[in-house]
Amino acid sequence: MSKTKVDEINRNIYDIKNKDEYEFKIKKGLTPEIIKEISKQKNDPEWMAEFRLKALEVYNKLELPTWGPDLSELNMDEIATYVRPKSKLNNSWEDVPEDIKNTFDKLGIPEAEKTSLAGVGAQYDSEVVYHSMKEELIKQGVIYTDMETAVREYPELVKKHFMKCVPVSDHKFVALHGAVWSGGSFVYVPKGVKVDIPLQSYFRLNSPESGQFEHTLIIVDEGASLHFIEGCSAPKYNKVNLHAGCVELYVKENAYLRYSTIENWSKNMLNLNTKKAIVEKNAKMEWVSGSFGSKISMLYPMSILNGEGAKTEFTGISFAGKGQNLDNGFKVVHNSPNTSSVVNAKSISKNGGKCTYRSLVRINENAKNSKALVSCESLMLDDISISDTIPVNDIQTDEVEFSHEAKIGKISDKTIFYLMSRGLSEEDAKAMIVRGFAYPISKELPVEYAVEMNNLINLELEGAIG
Amino acid sequence: MKKELLKIEDLHVSAENKEILKGINLKINKGEIHVIMGPNGSGKTTTANAILNNPAYIKQSGKIMFESEDITNLSTDEIARKGIFMSFQLPEEIPGVSVTNFLKYAKNKITGEPVKIFAFKEELKKYMEELNMNSKNMERSLNVGFSGGEKKKNEILQMLVLNPKLAILDETDSGLDVDAIKTVSKGIQMFKNENNAVLIITHNTKILNSLKVDYVHVLVDGKIIKTGSQELAEEIEENGYSQYK
Amino acid sequence: MEKIILNETPVRTAKNFNINNIKLENIEIPKNIKTFNNVQVKVEGTTNIVEEAETNINTLTYGVGNKLQNIEPNKSLKITIKSKKNQEILIDFNLDKDLIDNIEINVEEGTNAILIIKYKSENDIKTFHSGIIKTILQKNSKINLVIVNLINIKSNNFLSIENELKANSILKYTIIDFGGKNSITNYYSNLQEQEAENELNTIYLGKDNQLFDLNYIGELRGEKSNMNIEVQGALKDNAKKHFKGTIDFKKGCKKSKGNEDEFCMLLSDTAKSLALPMLLCSEEDVEGNHSSATGKAGEKELFYIMSRGFDKKEAMKLLVRAKFNKIIENIQNEELKNEILEEIDKRLD
Repeated sequence: MSKTKVDEINRNIYDIKNKDEYEFKIKKGLTPEIIKEISKQKNDPEWMAEFRLKALEVYNKLELPTWGPDLSELNMDEIATYVRPKSKLNNSWEDVPEDIKNTFDKLGIPEAEKTSLAGVGAQYDSEVVYHSMKEELIKQGVIYTDMETAVREYPELVKKHFMKCVPVSDHKFVALHGAVWSGGSFVYVPKGVKVDIPLQSYFRLNSPESGQFEHTLIIVDEGASLHFIEGCSAPKYNKVNLHAGCVELYVKENAYLRYSTIENWSKNMLNLNTKKAIVEKNAKMEWVSGSFGSKISMLYPMSILNGEGAKTEFTGISFAGKGQNLDNGFKVVHNSPNTSSVVNAKSISKNGGKCTYRSLVRINENAKNSKALVSCESLMLDDISISDTIPVNDIQTDEVEFSHEAKIGKISDKTIFYLMSRGLSEEDAKAMIVRGFAYPISKELPVEYAVEMNNLINLELEGAIG
Repeated sequence: MKKELLKIEDLHVSAENKEILKGINLKINKGEIHVIMGPNGSGKTTTANAILNNPAYIKQSGKIMFESEDITNLSTDEIARKGIFMSFQLPEEIPGVSVTNFLKYAKNKITGEPVKIFAFKEELKKYMEELNMNSKNMERSLNVGFSGGEKKKNEILQMLVLNPKLAILDETDSGLDVDAIKTVSKGIQMFKNENNAVLIITHNTKILNSLKVDYVHVLVDGKIIKTGSQELAEEIEENGYSQYK
Repeated sequence: MEKIILNETPVRTAKNFNINNIKLENIEIPKNIKTFNNVQVKVEGTTNIVEEAETNINTLTYGVGNKLQNIEPNKSLKITIKSKKNQEILIDFNLDKDLIDNIEINVEEGTNAILIIKYKSENDIKTFHSGIIKTILQKNSKINLVIVNLINIKSNNFLSIENELKANSILKYTIIDFGGKNSITNYYSNLQEQEAENELNTIYLGKDNQLFDLNYIGELRGEKSNMNIEVQGALKDNAKKHFKGTIDFKKGCKKSKGNEDEFCMLLSDTAKSLALPMLLCSEEDVEGNHSSATGKAGEKELFYIMSRGFDKKEAMKLLVRAKFNKIIENIQNEELKNEILEEIDKRLD
């Protein structure tokens, strides 16, 4: 059964390389002149042009992180930070240039839009080439557009929120993002509006030796709800590509937001992404995350529980294969009473891959009656891989319920024997156990994405086991 | 001549560098129910594991034939696909894999044919009613958080669904309760016909009360030292194994 | 007066998590101090040897920090275990002045012993203590080591512990960590060879502005080795604890097990608990677990005990003692056990 599935998928889908054809590709490197050129190319309003230059100053002052994976191979002088595809923004797939449309077709995006999504955005290199949303939602006042349009058309809303949740001083790659950001999505869900079907943005980086720096800004107003899905992929090149996106989420009083990601960047990508949510009173923020691609990933989504009774959940899996160093995790800060967080993190390491779970749970002094439950589980599929768990638990008051559990282990021989006695081959038995291990995450995804995730798992396991 | 199903010839097996089976000979024909009894540590569980070729048990010498084919060194899944099933004393827990999906998957592997969903579900329903199983358990993860009784029923259900030629029931646990004994007996009654066979490994004779057993083998210190009819089981129930030591 | 950075973790994490090391200000490091004589040594039997001798243990793999390890000791002891009778050695330091002690322990092949090292202030004179205790366990040896810190809370306490475990050796370490304005401990065990076993049990109890920084590291290298860390603590007033635990499964430690449990009871809303329980793994066939929990004393248990006529303070004491009991039971010396229990009561008053 799974075997046939394994045959169906093919890494080639993700690896389709289009010719590096672009309308404009900026010079490699990072100087005020280059930043000014990006502003010019993008027709930035004055405040944004200034913002970029200030961010560059901060970038130059900040140091690389002194912890985590080695980033020494990243040389910003070799990376083109802005690549404009030869396409304008369209709201009909018909108008998207043939080769670009073909790529998204093969990734199944237009098909998914028809069957299971309320809106779709598609970014190719530095610019969004397609954006569309169902008519009903437009009528209800939902805004879903590319970030550049938002800067132009909703300046007040953007100015009030843009890089306020994630300030440029957070770390070096956020500052870089502030200087060179391009593309991304803007979503505003008005008070009380429930968006029942997910919106999805898909990010595709085609151009070699370049970076993608999309900015996603989502505001779910009081009592509203939304499920947003983010997908990413890129074909593999020999030199490193860089992804330093930024996601800012504002979940207002009594609102609900689920943010799901299936990340499948190519294995030459440095994924240094920043995601943060501010969660207000009685609101709920849920993160669902599958991390399969990238050469190096440093990704720690963060929930700041500012309002009383705010809640957050993180459900995530990382799967590191040969040559991959996935340093992922979650951060949560409890700032108000009666807040709660639940973390369920899993990782799988094989073929020399390294997974690190790095996290922070901080319960501040005034977060009385708060609750935090953390569980991490790591699976080692061979003896050449690495799996580390580095969680920090910072509890600053007594009226709390906090617990943390972590486990590292391999698939037991007894379990394999049990499954084989039921007719499964050793490979099938292991694949079944791994899929079962990942099930708590895949069950949180819409069915198409759960299938995609299982396919990615099968793809990763192919040839590695036996 | 009866149709021979399983034949074990002079089987020597060791585990953790210790010789456990010291020359087992056993023949099982279609339509028969066999019982292996023996005190703790005599090699009962080892016998079952050796037939399924569990890599934790090393075969030093001897041969296992199944339907005249040498299966001594086949892998466990190949042996299962030949038609041998083993119910485990302590079934493994598999988080994230539902009972239904697992059974469908295993059935497909055993038969090599696609499973017809509707017929399969009907079949499942029938067996579960007979075994008095809670249908809610079918969507739970395989064996995870199941009580001892639920696990036992689940093993018997798997036996019925996979419908092997030879079912080996490892019931070495002396702590089997009345319900578990009923489950196992009922399962065997539902399963058993002229074309298949059952090997029960136990030292609990109560399990045999409602069954018509053809042969009882007494296993002591890695050897079958006596073979008899059902009366032999009754005799052991009364006198224990001390006379065979 | 100096600002010093101590107790670096083996793997760093984000700086703003404030746990990679501990920065202490206004620490006065003593120089050229006179020999320390206020120590009692009791050796059961005649086979084991405790002698005053220069040790060669100041180069440590980890340790609290070089600045402290480089101070010239004013007490050096060499202990050699030669007996197989599991006899007790008791070393009792009374801190009436600064103490820099180096203790080297050699547990010879196939021998076993109980060793208790106690640091206690009989009065509230502010002193400085920095110690190094290095233990080497030869094949098939076993030692039960108990470190008791009952220093007053004006003094600073620094302790670097290092252990080397050869094949089939068993090290049982118990640390009773109650004293010190700052009590900074570095514990490192190297389970070099197969089937070595190390159990580390700690209880700490903090009050006022006490700070505990525990940096425990276990590296498993031999096959089928086993490391088990259990830490139980309680904090009242403004006391703070940093627990940094690392179990590191190194290449080659197949079929090893590592376990880390850390529980902290907060007895006031200004007490603070910071923890980093790390599991690092470069080997497949291992089992690693850790669990930690932080919270206040259970309301239900408190209510139950109080309904039996105990006031809140007494009930709290009872609960803390109950939590600590399993670890205290590891101590076979009845006199010392009672002293610890009394000390718990005193510190919770």
